Amino acid sequence: MSRALQWREDLAGYLFMLPSLIFFVGFVIIPMFICIFTSLTATNMHDAAMFGQFIGLENFIKLFQDKVFQKGLLNTFIIVIVSVPTVCAFSLWVGSAIYKLNNVALSAFRCIFYLPVVTGSVAVTVVWRWMYDNYTGILNTALKGVGLIEQNINWLGDPKTALGCIIVILFTTSVGQPIVLYVSALGNVDTTLIEAAEVDGATDMQVFWKVKWPQMMPTTLYILVITTINSFQCFALIQLLTQGGPSHATDTVMYYIYYTAFKLTEQAGHFGYANAMGVVLAIFIGIMSAIQFRLAKEK
Amino acid sequence: MKMKKIIAAALAMAMALSLVACGNGNKDNGSQSKAPSSGSQGQNQGGDQSNPPSSSGASGITLWTYPIGDWKDENAVKALTDAFTAETGISVKVEYLDYTAGDDRVNTAITAEGTPDLIMEGPERLVANWGANGHMVDLKDMFDDTDLAEINAVNEGIMKACTYSNGAIYEYPLVMTAHCMAINKNAFEEAGALQYVDLENHTWTTENFIKAVEALYSKYNATVGAVFCAGQGGDQGTRALVNNLYGGTFTNAEHTQYLWNDPNNIKALEQLKSMKGIAFDPSLDGGKEITAFYQGILKMAFCWNIAQQLDPNSAKTGAEKTISGEDIVFMSFPSETGESQLCGGIWGFGIFDNGDQARIDASKQFIKFMCDSAHTVDAVKTANYFAVRTTAEGTDLSNIWADNPIMAEYTKLMPYLGDYYQVTTGWAAARTEWWNMLQEVGTGSDVATVLAAHEAAANAAAAG
Amino acid sequence: MINESGRKKAYKVFSVIVLVILAFLFLFPLYWIVTGAFKPSLDIYNPKPVWWPTEWVMNNFDDLFSKRTAPLWELAVPFGRWISPNQEDIFFSTGPTVPAAFRWLVNTVFMSVMAMILTCITAAMAGYALAKKRFRGRAIVFSLIVCAMALPKQVVLIPLIKEVAVLRMWDNIWAVILPTVGWPFGVFLMKQFSEGIPGEILEAARVDGSSEFGTFATIVVPMVKPGIGALAIFTFINSWNDYFMQLVMLPSGNNNTISLGIATLQNDTTVNMGLLMAGAALAAIPIIIVFLIFQKYFTQGITMGAVKG
Repeated sequence: MSRALQWREDLAGYLFMLPSLIFFVGFVIIPMFICIFTSLTATNMHDAAMFGQFIGLENFIKLFQDKVFQKGLLNTFIIVIVSVPTVCAFSLWVGSAIYKLNNVALSAFRCIFYLPVVTGSVAVTVVWRWMYDNYTGILNTALKGVGLIEQNINWLGDPKTALGCIIVILFTTSVGQPIVLYVSALGNVDTTLIEAAEVDGATDMQVFWKVKWPQMMPTTLYILVITTINSFQCFALIQLLTQGGPSHATDTVMYYIYYTAFKLTEQAGHFGYANAMGVVLAIFIGIMSAIQFRLAKEK
Repeated sequence: MKMKKIIAAALAMAMALSLVACGNGNKDNGSQSKAPSSGSQGQNQGGDQSNPPSSSGASGITLWTYPIGDWKDENAVKALTDAFTAETGISVKVEYLDYTAGDDRVNTAITAEGTPDLIMEGPERLVANWGANGHMVDLKDMFDDTDLAEINAVNEGIMKACTYSNGAIYEYPLVMTAHCMAINKNAFEEAGALQYVDLENHTWTTENFIKAVEALYSKYNATVGAVFCAGQGGDQGTRALVNNLYGGTFTNAEHTQYLWNDPNNIKALEQLKSMKGIAFDPSLDGGKEITAFYQGILKMAFCWNIAQQLDPNSAKTGAEKTISGEDIVFMSFPSETGESQLCGGIWGFGIFDNGDQARIDASKQFIKFMCDSAHTVDAVKTANYFAVRTTAEGTDLSNIWADNPIMAEYTKLMPYLGDYYQVTTGWAAARTEWWNMLQEVGTGSDVATVLAAHEAAANAAAAG
Repeated sequence: MINESGRKKAYKVFSVIVLVILAFLFLFPLYWIVTGAFKPSLDIYNPKPVWWPTEWVMNNFDDLFSKRTAPLWELAVPFGRWISPNQEDIFFSTGPTVPAAFRWLVNTVFMSVMAMILTCITAAMAGYALAKKRFRGRAIVFSLIVCAMALPKQVVLIPLIKEVAVLRMWDNIWAVILPTVGWPFGVFLMKQFSEGIPGEILEAARVDGSSEFGTFATIVVPMVKPGIGALAIFTFINSWNDYFMQLVMLPSGNNNTISLGIATLQNDTTVNMGLLMAGAALAAIPIIIVFLIFQKYFTQGITMGAVKG
């Protein structure tokens, strides 16, 4: 490429990038740099100064001895590991079960599964809180009615069940879009290939995995990405339902950052420490995204 | 084609709206729209100039208030602030906080340097936290000897609670109450447990409490009372319950150290743990416990006070009644002698130091108007609690609730008001340790170990 | 062969039954919110679930609407906080006083629509540049975007608040909109879509003398329209539901969004369930109506066929 041409390409590229870059640099990159820098200081809410005293890696050392943080990291990991594959598998199943139905039934189902997404997590928590309720909740009533349990289970109050409860709500508010996407992807699969495979005597299962699945790969990747993003968005559920409890069973790193920064506790306002958590989480997620992207590229 | 039209329409709408809701800052922009006509205020616009034209330099102040009685009700608060605006020409913009996210919002405001001028809550936040961290204005100059005498005549502890260890007064108190518990009288009657309570004096002994819970449990075969521990909401109830049962302590008398690792507390927790009718419930906080009690599910509530007695569950379905119309009786916490130490609640105003003297002065005017003037009666009545002083600038406050039999009856509990230990250093951490401790006791951990561990953590916070 | 088709049929029947059950479960929260909003308190607080209101009442809505009031809109001079002496907004138009819940809806719609439009425009442009322009530094920018794409906003929570405060935007709806636009997922998505545009078409347009922006507007945008649609929906729903950013950025009642408004109702000392249901219904119904009207666009036309890994 000639110099002039490269120059023209640069200019055009940057001009097209500019509006987006302003926001990206302004509201992601710059805060990220400030975050990294403050994580090395003892910055505190109660001093108006932007940066506190430089203390090196002290925050990070403290962080890795912090049991609550470790628990939070583990919970964050569990949420992602559990919810992403289940959401994908479930929506794939629903998608393939409904895409051949007649038009009315198809749009009805599509709509219904989309409803919790549009209702919004804050509104949905109102109902879920009541469903999980220890004393009057419908879940206990129903399970007792069927005879599955004898004693009321304190769904949100028991460290063994609380995280599962959060994941279930997250699940219902995440499957809507993947289902819609899978339905349209299945509708767009090249029918001639399917027919050819059927003529060759392939079973339904074989047709699905050998013909349809590869064609849906791009959709699946997109779904993986948005579901991962969604899983990190469970803040509202935790803040409104459990506040990280009981016994930190539902603490995530995201919630713990907020807790350390702004909850009215003695640790509150330890911005340096909270930012150190942010840095660790960012590294964690950055690596994950990079791996995901590498895998996607190889496919 | 249709899609294009819709997008175009949406775009056009968005552009038209593009300036809507550009926020109105956390500071009021004067009083064009809301202030009623008042002679002096017209010239106050843009009042940050160096020569304040009239009595006050600031034309508008902001108040953030927690839900304290009807101070969460816009109409009630507006009546008060309108009266203030009419008298001084200073407009007041009010924001309403809640107890779950309210603290977080104030802390974000501190971070963004956008704190309000005034805040209304108790000393455990205003003094022990924001005051201790240097965000509040010392209000000492607002108290003269008469003021102090008027307040001390009600209870000597009030001013102590509002004063930080360095001598600065970070809160101007308005109202107070004693936190108590409540029982469902009909349920007690059905279970034959009414014999264990002294309905006349609203007291009972530990022994009778245990018997009553047993009677209730054998009648209903379900949890009748919950040691709630989902969060800090209403946690004074669980503290008072545990401390009173066998006379345990929470802090030392000087409020310098937490002392819950006390054999009496261990005994109390083990007792509660062993009772079938009592559950440690980490899915409830005080508010949700009240709701369950109000629904008739729980037969007693440990988070209760006069505001609840007047309007159970804030549902406006009648004073002293559950949803199904059963009678609610407020009770003191059970103790060995029957004479318990109740936790107090004090609420008042503090001023955030935003560095603008004009606004600070205007805020002080507001506090004076609400807490020590002829209007104090209304401010106190709006809060639905008891006044912290006997008289306010000549207006007698001691009898303002005389026409209300429930309030009058409730005064029977006021002598039991105990030590206001919520101002001990490290308070915010200590209360967090407390409900975390309860959660762990509930899941079966050894009481003595857990208590010791969490007390140590609380004291570590107190030490600095 | 008969066996095979019998199994198929059985599977089909089975899956439809399971789907119907699931559909009921998914519908239930909404059903409960809507009926709950009209139940009298006796039904709401009844320890046994009351499936259908014994009596339809409006007092939950009366409560909701009488609780707080706010002007329906407030139009402020842009950058008013930089010119006014007290760093306050300067309003040139204030709407009639209405129940605050309506103002919250206006705020939420405004916020989501603006975030959506700005994200789509900036992301479409940037995605095109990343896919089709061989400018220097492209690889670095793209790697940054990939790494930051899934980042939760809590990571930069504190610096973001500080920054927004310095820009005098805190407690202003733009403090939520602009960081949302900055999140790079949209750019990534649009880049994947733009990869599918054949280079020859762009080359042909250039030969025909079309300007860079002209090419983008007339050739690229129509080709990546499905991607813009997907991104628009994703952004709209996400910012509508982004309780977290709203919580930390918008303290005043007049600037609250509907999610924040209901959360506040939920967090009062004691929970008034009826009020809460009414609030939740008010928050859910408008967006569901929008969804039903635009259903076709929400659910069709978003083919991911153009996404290349």
